[in-house]
Amino acid sequence: MRLILPIVLAAVTVVLIAVALTSANATGKTVGISAGSSFLTPKPTTPDQALSNLLLNAKRRNWDEAFNSVSNAQSPNKKSFIQDWTGSYGSLRAFSALEGYDIRPLHITNDEAQMRVRLHWTTPVGPIEDVRDFRLAREGEIWKTVWPKSDMPIVPSQVIPVTYLRWDLVSGGSDDEWGAKNIDAPRVRIVSMNPLDFAEGAVVLGEVVNEDTIPAFVNVTATLVDGSGNAIDEETSFDKIDHILLPKQVTPYRIDFPKVKFKDVKNVRMNIKATLVPASADPVIGVMNQKVDPDYQGKAVLRGDLFNESGQTVNIPHVIASLYDNNGKVLWVADGYVERALLPQTSAPFSIEIPKNMASKVQNFHVVVNQYSMGRN
Amino acid sequence: MDPTDYVERSDRTVVDVAHPYARPVPLLAIVLLALAIHGPLLLMQLPAGSYDANFHMFFASHYAQHWFDPWNVKWFAGFSQTTYPPLTHQWIALFSYVVGLKMAYMLVQLIAILLLPVGVYRFARIWVSDREASYAAIGSIFLGALAGLVYQAGQLATVASVALYLNALPYLYDWMTKSSVRSLIKGIVLGLTAAAAHHVTLIFGVVLFAGPVLWTAIVDAYDGRASGSVGGVIARGAIFAVAVGAGVGLVLAPYWLALIQHPIHQIPIPHDSRNNFLLNSATAINYFLIPYGALLLALPFIFYKGASSRRLIPLLMGFWLTMIFGLGGTTPLPKWLLGRAFEVLTFERFTFWATLLAMPLVGILAAELIDRFHLKAAVGLALAAVATFGAALYWLSANPFKPQMSTDIAPVTAFLNRDGHDAYRYVALGFGSDLARVSNGTVANSVDGDYNSARLLPEMTNYGSAQLTNSKFYGSAGMASLRAMLEHANRYGLKYIFVHDPYYEPLLTFVGWRKIEVFDNGAITAWSKDDVPPAHPIESDAKPSAFQGLMWGILPVGFSFLAILLEIILPETRRVQTANRVPVRAEHSVASI
Amino acid sequence: MRPLLRYGVVCLALSLAPAWAQDITAPKSAVAGEQVTLSIAGSGKATFYLIGPGISNTHEINLGEEIKLRGDVLRTAGDYQVVVCGDPCKSATFYVMPAKPFSISFLVHPSRVPVSQSDAVSGVAFPFDQFHNLVLAPVPISFQLASGKASLLNKTETTKSGAAWFRTASSKSAGPLQVTAAFQDISAKRVVQQVASEPCNLRLTGQRNATGILVQTEPVHDCSGNPVPDGTIVSFTANAGGVKSTVDAPIKKGIARAQMDANGAAVISGASGVVMGNELHMGAK
Repeated sequence: MRLILPIVLAAVTVVLIAVALTSANATGKTVGISAGSSFLTPKPTTPDQALSNLLLNAKRRNWDEAFNSVSNAQSPNKKSFIQDWTGSYGSLRAFSALEGYDIRPLHITNDEAQMRVRLHWTTPVGPIEDVRDFRLAREGEIWKTVWPKSDMPIVPSQVIPVTYLRWDLVSGGSDDEWGAKNIDAPRVRIVSMNPLDFAEGAVVLGEVVNEDTIPAFVNVTATLVDGSGNAIDEETSFDKIDHILLPKQVTPYRIDFPKVKFKDVKNVRMNIKATLVPASADPVIGVMNQKVDPDYQGKAVLRGDLFNESGQTVNIPHVIASLYDNNGKVLWVADGYVERALLPQTSAPFSIEIPKNMASKVQNFHVVVNQYSMGRN
Repeated sequence: MDPTDYVERSDRTVVDVAHPYARPVPLLAIVLLALAIHGPLLLMQLPAGSYDANFHMFFASHYAQHWFDPWNVKWFAGFSQTTYPPLTHQWIALFSYVVGLKMAYMLVQLIAILLLPVGVYRFARIWVSDREASYAAIGSIFLGALAGLVYQAGQLATVASVALYLNALPYLYDWMTKSSVRSLIKGIVLGLTAAAAHHVTLIFGVVLFAGPVLWTAIVDAYDGRASGSVGGVIARGAIFAVAVGAGVGLVLAPYWLALIQHPIHQIPIPHDSRNNFLLNSATAINYFLIPYGALLLALPFIFYKGASSRRLIPLLMGFWLTMIFGLGGTTPLPKWLLGRAFEVLTFERFTFWATLLAMPLVGILAAELIDRFHLKAAVGLALAAVATFGAALYWLSANPFKPQMSTDIAPVTAFLNRDGHDAYRYVALGFGSDLARVSNGTVANSVDGDYNSARLLPEMTNYGSAQLTNSKFYGSAGMASLRAMLEHANRYGLKYIFVHDPYYEPLLTFVGWRKIEVFDNGAITAWSKDDVPPAHPIESDAKPSAFQGLMWGILPVGFSFLAILLEIILPETRRVQTANRVPVRAEHSVASI
Repeated sequence: MRPLLRYGVVCLALSLAPAWAQDITAPKSAVAGEQVTLSIAGSGKATFYLIGPGISNTHEINLGEEIKLRGDVLRTAGDYQVVVCGDPCKSATFYVMPAKPFSISFLVHPSRVPVSQSDAVSGVAFPFDQFHNLVLAPVPISFQLASGKASLLNKTETTKSGAAWFRTASSKSAGPLQVTAAFQDISAKRVVQQVASEPCNLRLTGQRNATGILVQTEPVHDCSGNPVPDGTIVSFTANAGGVKSTVDAPIKKGIARAQMDANGAAVISGASGVVMGNELHMGAK
C-alpha cells in the first residue's frame, strides 16, 4: 500500500493529463493574456501542423517561435514579419488580437502546400474575419511557411501643404443674457427611408443630408410601432452611419432590429437628432476604383481603394456604402472597416460584402468614408 | 543525556525528545508569527490593489449604508447583494465605522489570516501530533497559494471561510468519535459561520475537507481508537450534515431563493484557471508553480507518507482530488465531475485548499527532518517557506495577470457628482477592479459591475464576458457585449463613458459618442452622447423582499457573534501535551496493522 | 421647512378671519421696489404676516401704528396678502405692478439664415423692469435690422401682454445681420448670420498630373453671387471604363479640389447638394 497507492495516483494523474492534452480544444480560452508558451509543441511534420504552430505562436505573440517556423526567414526581416501581425501606425490591426483560425488545404504535394486560413480577429469595433492564403514548403522532415514580402507602403519624407479647416464651438456661460447666444441646431434631413425584412430581423435604411452651412453631429433613431400604437423596439443607427456630416454631405444609415419582422409593425417613427459639434474638414479621403466583383467564394463584393489626400494619418477608416437599384432607391447599406492605416498620400484597399439576394439588383452605389484618427476625434 | 529520553520513532528514526525542537510550537507564537508576517503587509494595504478587494469594499460600503436593504442600484442598473454571502462584507461594514472602509477590509483579512493557522493546527491534530500540527500551522502562514489569494486575487471570503471551516472540522471529528454535544453545537455554529462567509467553500468542503475527516473517524471507530461503532460515527456524521445543511438553508435563504429564481444560465466566462497549464507557461506559473512553491519538493513525501498509514489515506485522497481540481483544465476530471459548473467556478481556490490539506503531511515531514538534521533542517525549512512566500510576493509585480496600477479616479467621481451628471448611468472602460472604487465614490449608477453572478441584463448575460470595463480581455464576446450595451444606451440612461484605455476610443467614435473632457493629462477621457434621456429605475424581479433583507442583515452576522460567544462560554478543554511522546495517531503504518 | 410652517399658519389664520379685512388699510396697488405704507386699526400686540410671489414674512407689531413695507420686500410684481393676527386675525390684499422698463429680452430666430428668403427672420422682445418683472403695460419697441450699412427694417411695435415682435426677409448679401430692439435708451442687439444659399453654376476644371487627374471647381457662389461657405462638400465623381471613383472634397477658400485616380479616359462630374456641375471629359494618359 505504501508504494502502490502513490504509484496508482501518479499513474491516474498522468493518464488524466494525457486525456486532456489529446481532447479537442485543449488550448482553452485565455483572458487578456496572450503571452506564455506551450510546454508541448507538436513537431511540424505536416503542412497543417506547421501552419497551426505558426498561427498558435502568432496568437500568443511568441514571435521568436513564430518566426522560426517561417521558411524564408532571411527574406522578410523579423520586424516586418511581426508588423504584419501586429499592424502599425495605430491601424485597426494594431488594436486587434488573433482569436482563432480555420485552416483548409487548397493544394498539397510532397514538397509544397497551399493552405487557406480564415483568421478570426477581435478588434475594438467588433469581430473581423480575414481570409489569407499561405504557401508552405518542406524542409527535410518538417514543414515551414513561406512568408510573403510585406506590402506596407513606404511614405517618402515630404512636405504636404495643408490648409486645415475646422469649426470650433464656443459655449456661452450660464450668466449670459437670455437669448444672447442662441445658436440653432444644424438643419439635417432624412432624404430616404426604406424598411425591409432581412435575415433574422427588420432593417430600416436610407440616407441623411446636412442642409446647413455648419457641420452636424447626427444620430438617427427608429421606433417600430405595432397596431395598437405601442412601441415594439427602438434602435439607433449606431455605427452604420457617418455621424459627423459637413455641409451638404450625405451619409447612408442603417438601423437593425434583430428578431422583429415588419409584418408585426404598423408604423415606423423616425427621429433624427442633430447637434452642434466642433469638427474638421480634414482628412479628405477619396474612394477610387469602385466596382462590384465576386470574391473567392463567388459572393458579390464592392471593392475599391481609399486614397488619403491629406497630410495626416488616418488610423482606422470605416467605409459605408449605399447600394441603389435602377430607380435610385437605397436597397441596402453595407459597411466595413479597413485594417490598415491610411498614411498621407497613400491608398489602401477595401471590400464590402453585398448580400446575396441583392447583388443582382444593385445598379449604383455611393461610398462614404468615416474615420478614426488618434488624438483628433 | 538520559537514554530514556530517546524514543524509538520508527525503524530508522531516533528521536531526541529533549532537544529544543521536540516540543510543539505554542499556538500563540504561531498566531504572532502570522501577525508579524502578514500584519505589516496589510498595514501597507498591499491587498488594496488585488483583483477583488475593491469588490468586497463596494459590497461592504452598501451594507454600511443600507444594512437591511441588499438591493444595490449602483451596478447592473440594480442587483441584489443576496447573490453573495455577506459575512465578511458585513464585518468590514461594522469596522468601517471605526477605521474606514479600506482599513476595515485589511482588518477582516488579517483576522481571517490569523484564524487560518489556528484552523490548520486544529485540523492537522486530527491526524498528527501537536508538534507536527504546529509545524503544519506555521507552514500555512507562508503558503504561496495564500499569498496569491490574499494579495493578488483578493479572495477574502474564500480565505475567511476556509479558516472558519478548518476550525469547525475538529468539532465534527470530536462529535463523531466522542459524541461530544458541545462539539456538535460549536461545530454547527462555526460551519454556518463559514457558510455565511463563502458558500462555495462549504459546498466543496463537504467532499474535500469533511470527507477525509469522516473517513478517518470511521477508520478510528473500526480500529477501536474512537468510542462507539462505525455505524454510530456515520449516524453522528449524518446528524451533523443534516443540521448544517438545514442551517445553511436558513442562514443563506435569500441567496438560495435568488439562485432558484435566477439560475446561472449566462454564457460561460473564460478564466485562465480553467486552462490546460501545460499549454501556457504563464498560466502554469501563476496557478501551479507559485501557489505550491517549495511544497512541490514535498510532493513525493506527501504521497509516500500519506499512503503509509490507513489513517492518513483519507487525507491523501482528499489532497490528491483537490490538487487535480486545482489543475483546472490540465486534466478532464473537474469537467467530468462538475459538468456545467466547471465553466462557472474558478480553480485557484482548489489549489489553496490542496495546499492546506497537504499541511498535516508537511508537518510530519518537517518533524522528521528536524529530528534528523536539527538546526540545518529548521533553517532549510524556514528558507523554503520564506522563499515560497517571497516568490509569491515577487510574482505580484512580475506576473502578466497583475492588476493594473491604481488609477486616480478622483476626477471621474468629481465629474459624476457635479452638475446633475448623476441623473444618468455611466460605464468606466479600462478601469479593471477600480470600477468598484469609482462606484464607492459617487452616487451615480452604472450598468456595469464587477460581480459576474449578479448580472441579469441581457446585454451582459448573452455573451461570454464578465465586466464591460474589461471587455477587451474577453475578445469578441467582450466587445460584442459592450456593443450591445452601447446600442441600448438610451434605454438605460447611459450617457457617460470614462475611458482609461485608448483601445475603446475607435468604437466610441464610430458609434456616435463624443469626447467631452480629459482628466489626468489625458490618462482618462470622458465621452458623452447627446440624445440620452435621464436614467430611470429598471424593473427587476430579482429585488429581495423586506423580510429577506431583514434575514440577510441578522442571521449571517448573528451566527458569527454566536460562534464567538460559544468559544468564550464553552472553551475547548486543554489536551494533555504529547510533545515528549510518539503521536498516537501517526505511528500506525499500514504494514503494522 | 420653516416657510412651509409659516404658510400653514397663515392659511389657517385666513380661513378663520376674513371678516375683519376692512380694519387693515392698504393701497389698491403699488409699484415694484417702492415702499408701501399700511395702517392697521386696534391696539395691543399682533403678529404680522406678508405673503407674496416668492416671499413670506412675519413680524411682531403694535396695532394702531403704521407699517412701512420696504421696497426690497416688494420687488416681485403680483398679488400680496397681509394677515395680522392679534385677537382675532385680519387680512387684506394689494397688487404690486412692475416698475418702468429697465431691460429688453430679445429672442431672434434663426441664428443662421440663407440669403433672399422671405419671412425668414423673426424676433420677439419682452421689456422687463429692474427686478425682472415682465412689463405688461404697452411699451413701444423699435426694431431695426441692418446688413452692413444698408437698413433692412426700421419699425416700432407696441407690446401686447408684454411682448412685441416682427418678421421679415433676409437680405441678398451674406454676412452678419444686426438686429436691434430698443425702447428709449434701453436696447438689445442680436446678430443673425446670413449665409449663401445653394451653389449656382458649379463649374469644374481638371488637368492630368503624375498621379491622376487634379480636378477643381471655380470659386463656388450662390445665385446672388455670395461665396458658398468653406467646408461645404462638393462630390466629385470620375467614371473610367465602368470603374467609379468619388471624392467628397470640402470647399476651401472658395474652391473645392480633389485628386482623382484615373489613368484611362474618364468622365468627371461634380455636385454640391442638389446642384450639379458640368461634366469633364478627360482623355487617356
